Amino acid sequence: MNCRSEVLEVTVEARQVEEAMLALLHTILLHRSTGKFHYKKEGTYSIGTVGTLDIDCDFIDFTFVRVSSEELDRVIRKAVSEFKDALNNSGSDGMGQISLEFYQKKKSRWPFSDECIPWEVWSIKVNVVNLANEQERQICREKVGEKLGEKVINVVEVINRHEYLPKMPTQSEVDNVFDTSLKDVQPYLYKITYQITDSLGTSVSTTMRRLIKDTLAL
Amino acid sequence: MAHFDTEYQRLEASYSDSPPGEENLLMHVPEGAKSQWHHIENLDLFFQRISFYMFLAYKNGFTCMLLGEIFELVQLLFVVGFTVFLANCVDYDILFANKFVNHTDSSKVTLPDAFLPVNVCSARIQGNAFVIFVLMISGVFWLHRLIKFIYNVCCYWEIRSFYINALKMTMSELPYATWQEVQARIVEIQKEHQICIHKKELTELDIYHRILRFKNYMVAMVNKSLLPVRFRLPVLGESVFYTRGLKYNFELIFFWGPGSLFENEWSLKPEYKRGGNRLELADRLASRILWIGIANLLLCPVILVWQILYAFFSYTEVTKPGSLGARCWSLYGRCYLRHFNELDHELMSRLSKGYKAASKYMNCFLSPLLTVVAKNVAFFAGSLLAVLIALTIYDEDVLAVEHVLSSITLLGVCITVCRSFIPDKHMVFCPEQLLRVILAHIHYMPDHWQGNAHRYETRDQFSQLFQYKAVFILEELLSPVVTPIILIFCLRRKSLEIIDFFRNFTVEVVGVGDTMLLCPDGHQAAWTSCGEGPQELSLMHFAITNPQWQPPQETTHFISQLKERVHREATGVPTDTHPLSLSESEPRSLIANLLAGPSTLASVHFGRDSSLTNHAAAGISDGASALRSLSPISSSLHLRGSLSAAHRTAGHTSTMSKAMAGSGTDARTVSSGSSAWEGQLTSLVLSEYASTEMSIHALYMHELHKQQSRGELSRHTWHRQESDESSDSVPDEVRSQPNPHSRNFPRSHTFPAAVPSPSEGASSHNSSERRYSGPTTDSFGAGGKVVRSARVPMGGWAEEGQTAPRHHEPLPEESLEDEMPPHIHKVNAVTVCDWDGTVNLPVCTASKQTLSFSLSLSRSLSLSLLSLSLSLSLSPSLPLTSDHITKP
Repeated sequence: MNCRSEVLEVTVEARQVEEAMLALLHTILLHRSTGKFHYKKEGTYSIGTVGTLDIDCDFIDFTFVRVSSEELDRVIRKAVSEFKDALNNSGSDGMGQISLEFYQKKKSRWPFSDECIPWEVWSIKVNVVNLANEQERQICREKVGEKLGEKVINVVEVINRHEYLPKMPTQSEVDNVFDTSLKDVQPYLYKITYQITDSLGTSVSTTMRRLIKDTLAL
Repeated sequence: MAHFDTEYQRLEASYSDSPPGEENLLMHVPEGAKSQWHHIENLDLFFQRISFYMFLAYKNGFTCMLLGEIFELVQLLFVVGFTVFLANCVDYDILFANKFVNHTDSSKVTLPDAFLPVNVCSARIQGNAFVIFVLMISGVFWLHRLIKFIYNVCCYWEIRSFYINALKMTMSELPYATWQEVQARIVEIQKEHQICIHKKELTELDIYHRILRFKNYMVAMVNKSLLPVRFRLPVLGESVFYTRGLKYNFELIFFWGPGSLFENEWSLKPEYKRGGNRLELADRLASRILWIGIANLLLCPVILVWQILYAFFSYTEVTKPGSLGARCWSLYGRCYLRHFNELDHELMSRLSKGYKAASKYMNCFLSPLLTVVAKNVAFFAGSLLAVLIALTIYDEDVLAVEHVLSSITLLGVCITVCRSFIPDKHMVFCPEQLLRVILAHIHYMPDHWQGNAHRYETRDQFSQLFQYKAVFILEELLSPVVTPIILIFCLRRKSLEIIDFFRNFTVEVVGVGDTMLLCPDGHQAAWTSCGEGPQELSLMHFAITNPQWQPPQETTHFISQLKERVHREATGVPTDTHPLSLSESEPRSLIANLLAGPSTLASVHFGRDSSLTNHAAAGISDGASALRSLSPISSSLHLRGSLSAAHRTAGHTSTMSKAMAGSGTDARTVSSGSSAWEGQLTSLVLSEYASTEMSIHALYMHELHKQQSRGELSRHTWHRQESDESSDSVPDEVRSQPNPHSRNFPRSHTFPAAVPSPSEGASSHNSSERRYSGPTTDSFGAGGKVVRSARVPMGGWAEEGQTAPRHHEPLPEESLEDEMPPHIHKVNAVTVCDWDGTVNLPVCTASKQTLSFSLSLSRSLSLSLLSLSLSLSLSPSLPLTSDHITKP
């Protein structure tokens, strides 16, 4: 696919899953959000401000920074808690993957629906471990904190590279690049999906799509 | 979770969400998406479409294709409707006058009388389950075609606008552009629009890898006999069965079907990249193949009807009696002869150029017995026909006699069929030369064909690549039945090998995805030269067709050395001594083997020139004339050629000087940079050049390989005699020239031994040498190890040297022929060529300037040599008309 993909892997205890995920997702989104655009005449715009918040984790020795938008936080939290529940209910070996995908929309002609073309995908692989006693938990608490710190630095390094980003849109196209539904902040269009255990095989839908496309090709 | 507010607060107070009173401080101007071509989702598909559109433009253009499609849709409706009508709604008794119509007023029977009434007709149709079934299938088929048509119109409309808006090419100039030009523009576009987001710049190789990702795998698998396409049948002997249905199933299993090895279009599933549980994966693959085979079996009747419909509409033109004997390159042949990273249109134009020679070659083998019979049958049929026609002319009432008309028709068909078995009177039996000409175009051929071109085994093997069209269609029709059997019983057994193949030969390239590793030992994403035949040739082909491509370091070295060698061979030897005097026992070079006679003519021309630019210019103009002699297509091209000849010469000289000055620009950039029309012509002609140059490389490498394999054999015997030497020490000894046995060991002479040039460092010398001697020492040291990717299926190169006892058959020699008066057809002029001769090929490291110089120089030289030789040595006996040369 024509998109960058970054993979982060973390090993955490069951109760740390939610916070660890929030920490990583929020860190990425912090760097992929701008203030609201205010378009003026003559095709110019000014950018609003973005506030930040420091969040202390309860189960991990870690503090992260997030955009101080409650709406955005609610959306992320919802996705993460769904993921956590699914992970708990799966009852399997506790492997899961949550991915944050940034995309842009491309308008297409009438019979086809708009295409969503991803340009960056962050996959966070989670491995849940069970710990026996309190001492191990204490160690894990510190270790996960350190690990997350490394990951955050990792994320920042990736984002600092001069790589492809969608161009700043004009007023009519702003919806194709940014998520403008939030009141106070404007992240790039994103999508959070999750997957419990790396289920193998192409999904049926992609195969069908390919089948149809293939028979239609000249 | 505790929240701590930092000092960086969002300014809640301001309604307008910008610092109060400073609304105009920070203003941004949106860049907007100026074009819609940035960041394309599926680049594989996009590039495929671009190249296909290009191909369409070559053939007849998009509009023609659309119109053709529409007519075909109508045709299909008509044929199905008409057939059903004929079968169910006509009262044949009335037509054949077995039943009389009770008309009162007139005795004439009219056509409408023969039609059944509508209600009877529809009742008959509804009563027949089979007709309903066929109607349903064809209805689905038609709808499918219709949807496909609409879908393609939309897709290619987009591609068209990409050509116009992004690549800035008009539709009228597209047919005259080459793929390389389009590609160069795409590379340009990437810098501006970033259609691929992984890297700032695309290379030619990236584009090729994307377009041909799966095709490269297929080519490799066919050549490694991983796919069960060759069978040993009880009656037919060894035969090849590879149809589109089978190919489709293979692709379904490996690349995109449910649970295939690839997780999406650009990456192999991670578990297949690890060797750990290969057995389990192989089991899984085997069971999937089984299921797909069973599905094929169940769907067999549907596919069969579909296939018949498809064949009917796709191959109607073949069913004409005249083209029954026509041949085409088989699907297997197209896979076998394909280079890695060769686009469809490149392959097709190459094969089309070889078509004429190939069909001539096959026609050489008409059995004389059959010819005699056919002649006589034709005689009798002809005389009967003549009498009937004469009688008819005398009195047309003869036609009214029962069956006279039908027997005239039958006799006519009979004569046509017979005539196809009678060879052309002016045909000359010279299979060896024909095979050489074919090789120049198709580039691959098992070694043991050479020297055995006259044998029926060779012909039969060649016919696997070049089959009758009728056979092709028959196979296609049989395919639905045979495919499940092959899948279930043959492919399943190979699953472990296939798993291993994909693991070993896949490499992940940033910005391209998982792609076929073209050399198993290479750590590079691209080719590294591993010294094996097909890959070497593919590499050469790619480097020649894409001169702007910057190969990796080692590869550059390899290419330059090879070119250097070919160039030296082509120029050096004939100037030293006269080829005729050479032909007995004196040392002679490989190229001299190929081109001995004619090359003198050229080399006289070249050899005397001292000034570099003159040299080049002479080469070019010579090349142009030679090109014309090689491919006398039409007067129009002649005109074009001569029109642009002057321009080209100028372009080349300027390139030369530029190259000398150190900028490594190629002639193509210069020529395409000039005025549009001339530039296009030039690039067309230049691509002709490139293909000719590739031909000469192919010939050269085959010759080299043949001699190598012979040398290998003799060395094996030698090795056995000197059994006291350990096999480890042998490669070193081979490398060292002053070997006590080297006199008995002819291979070390013909082998391109590296002579250390002073400029070359010891290490690079070693590595280059090892690369050259790589496969040979390898197989040598291991005793009988088969060189890994040699083309085995046709009894290929690698085993050839070791298994087949090679009798020292004389090399075919064309050189003498043109020295004779043209009317003396000494076609099989075979002189015993002394392959023992010393060819000392100094391997020198050329600096960049000299490299680019020698590159274009050798191109012009070799090209003119080859074409001269071909035209001179062959034209007396076989006029090489080239109406099969296609445009691209």
